[in-house]
Amino acid sequence: MTIGNRDDRQLPHTIMSRTIMHLDMDAFYAAIEQLDNPELVGKPVIVGASPDKRGVVATASYEARAFGVHSAMPSRTAGRLCPNGVFVPVRMSRYAEVSGQLMDVLESFTPLVEKISVDEAFMDVTGVLHLWKDALSLARAIKDRIRAELKLTGSIGVAPNKFLAKLSSDMDKPDGLTVAPTIEKEIIAFLAPLPVGRLWGVGGKTNERLNSLGIHTVEHIQQRPMEELRTILGERMAAHLSALAHGRDERSVETGNEEKSISNEMTYGEDCRDPARVRETLLRLAEKVSHRLRRSGKLATTAQIKLRFSDFRTITRQLPLQPATDNDRSLLNAAVELFEKENVREPIRLVGFGVSNLSRPGQARDEEQQLLFPALDSDLQDEKDTKLDHALDEIRERFGTGSVGRAGGKGRNR
Amino acid sequence: MKFSISKTAFQEALQVVQGVVSLRSTLPILSNVLIKADKKHLTLTTTDLDVSMRCNVDATIKSSGATSLPVRRLLSIVRELPEGNVDVEVDDKNAATIKAGAAFFKIMGLSEDEFPPSPTVEGGTAHGMAQASLRDMFRKTSYAVSTDETRRVLNGVHLSFRGDKLTMVATDGRRLALVEHAIDVPDKSEKDMIIPSKAVKELVHVLKDEGDAQLHVLDKQVAVECANVLMVCKLIEGNYPNFRQVVPSQCEERVTVERESLLVALRRVSLLTTDKANSVRLTFAKNKIEISTVTPDVGEAREAIPIKYSGKQISVAFNPEYVMDPLRNMDDDEIFFELVDDLSPGVIKCASPFVYVLMPMRIS
Repeated sequence: MTIGNRDDRQLPHTIMSRTIMHLDMDAFYAAIEQLDNPELVGKPVIVGASPDKRGVVATASYEARAFGVHSAMPSRTAGRLCPNGVFVPVRMSRYAEVSGQLMDVLESFTPLVEKISVDEAFMDVTGVLHLWKDALSLARAIKDRIRAELKLTGSIGVAPNKFLAKLSSDMDKPDGLTVAPTIEKEIIAFLAPLPVGRLWGVGGKTNERLNSLGIHTVEHIQQRPMEELRTILGERMAAHLSALAHGRDERSVETGNEEKSISNEMTYGEDCRDPARVRETLLRLAEKVSHRLRRSGKLATTAQIKLRFSDFRTITRQLPLQPATDNDRSLLNAAVELFEKENVREPIRLVGFGVSNLSRPGQARDEEQQLLFPALDSDLQDEKDTKLDHALDEIRERFGTGSVGRAGGKGRNR
Repeated sequence: MKFSISKTAFQEALQVVQGVVSLRSTLPILSNVLIKADKKHLTLTTTDLDVSMRCNVDATIKSSGATSLPVRRLLSIVRELPEGNVDVEVDDKNAATIKAGAAFFKIMGLSEDEFPPSPTVEGGTAHGMAQASLRDMFRKTSYAVSTDETRRVLNGVHLSFRGDKLTMVATDGRRLALVEHAIDVPDKSEKDMIIPSKAVKELVHVLKDEGDAQLHVLDKQVAVECANVLMVCKLIEGNYPNFRQVVPSQCEERVTVERESLLVALRRVSLLTTDKANSVRLTFAKNKIEISTVTPDVGEAREAIPIKYSGKQISVAFNPEYVMDPLRNMDDDEIFFELVDDLSPGVIKCASPFVYVLMPMRIS
């Protein structure tokens, strides 16, 4: 997402100077595990797959990070680096619960909270600043409340825009508080030494390309003439990176900025050669995604599967869902259709299912064909499906996601 | 078995029966046409076990007999043969040699014994009517049949023989087409039935401008006989929804529109609809119908058709395909469009007994 296509949404308050905060919780999953199980306090806690399984680290506590363990690292590697590490499985529902409490705390300071993930949020505090001595004391108050109410710590960055706020929160972790400079000259000096990869939108490919052209730090971007950047990066990217390099970012804090996609994936302990089993896994994942989708109260218009083969070659395949749906049956059908179209014969390492293009029911231009016989069988069927889905959701919520599933997902097609 | 037949007659007869044959049949015999040679004609029969189609065609029979041959292959061969006579000879192993001019083919068939027995058409009541009328009724309704296989009863055209008329209805739950035809129905033979849409499609091909057709209404099947063709099919079982209750008894505003103008305007405006925004708005305003669509990120289109109208302004959104479907299948120069309000169904009528009810789209 570039600044360019957001321009039309600039709000009046972006013209005046803003105060934006970015909160990033410290080792969130691991901290919650330590909170829930005091025996883990002070120990290197690694949340994620266990080291004898394939899979990755979701979060490592700071004790574990001292050994070089970091998130997204294969658990096996983590186990080797940190032999005394305490591996605990991911308990997403618990983290989501704490995340909810966290957001409640933030929203008690300002309604303009943009949740980016379970443990990360932007706040636009421009309008509430007059209630406080200054931004620093507000940030301290937020940190204190989080510590008091959740017994957790986070790092906050305070800046005139989102980009600088996010950079700042990362400057002094854990339990940090960094106020970015506000004067342009200081901002430029602040950004200059950072590697260019820290700029929003510079991923692996762009990074490589920039590096190959001798652009390694933000300073290099600041110094290159605009024309040159344009030839290297194209009009939009050049404008985007140049703005960021000078600390300019007009994006507003979007409270409505919700999840854009929901997905689940699974890595097999051993590459799976049985398409029927992969299909079954896919159905399981689709059920989970469908469950999460309904909890989010949204409808999806795109379904996607992801398959990774033994050689790590990864493919994704998409299917539009018409009309937008949160219905188990539609998502399961889409998953099966996508999978069967691939007609996979090779061993599968990882399989995933996701939905995207999420909308709230009734959002945008929502068309609904009215029916002549609203009570007819198929409509009843849909209703039954919806009821069944909700009943299943309730069971899953009470007894866990594995407690109940459709017959097609478990026993059949062996 | 040995016979000689004109290429044209053979091709036509094969074309009549081949439509029934399923492309994905599990039983090889169902891909075949049963050919019987007897006295002065051939009888060709195909079936998918639900619908069977039989066609008689004149031929010079040199020796009688029966066999079954793969119908698509046979038709593709006959189609390419030179004009004139085709000589066919089948040996006792069901291998058929086909000769026409300098062309020679040999194709393998299956024994007639493997072919499913033909359904018997006995009892029931027979109704006669002109082939052209029957075809017209099917044409004016069958496009509205539901293709959703989970709604079995809607996968066919509903025929109701009652009082002094035959009423034909098709609906997919979003729109409904109804057509009536005067026919003499004795009290005892009142009957409702649902003919599967596949059979209807085949019939529309088979029925001709001239001549009469006989409908033999049986308990669980219907047979339609016209000239040299007999189609027998199983009826869809189940209760058809009460369609009479959804046909509005009165309307607020009615306009007369030139059918062709409305159709082309809809076709043009619908160019700017997409899968996600698949509706056009029909607005009855003073002396015009305005058809318009606005699709975010795509664009907009608008076209007005002059009409005589001085009633209140009404604006309803419809799926354009559902408005165009009946218009394409009518012959009238002028049609009547009736609206009640922005969220009530629209109704299309014409001079003959035809009603089309279309549910609007709700746009939020």
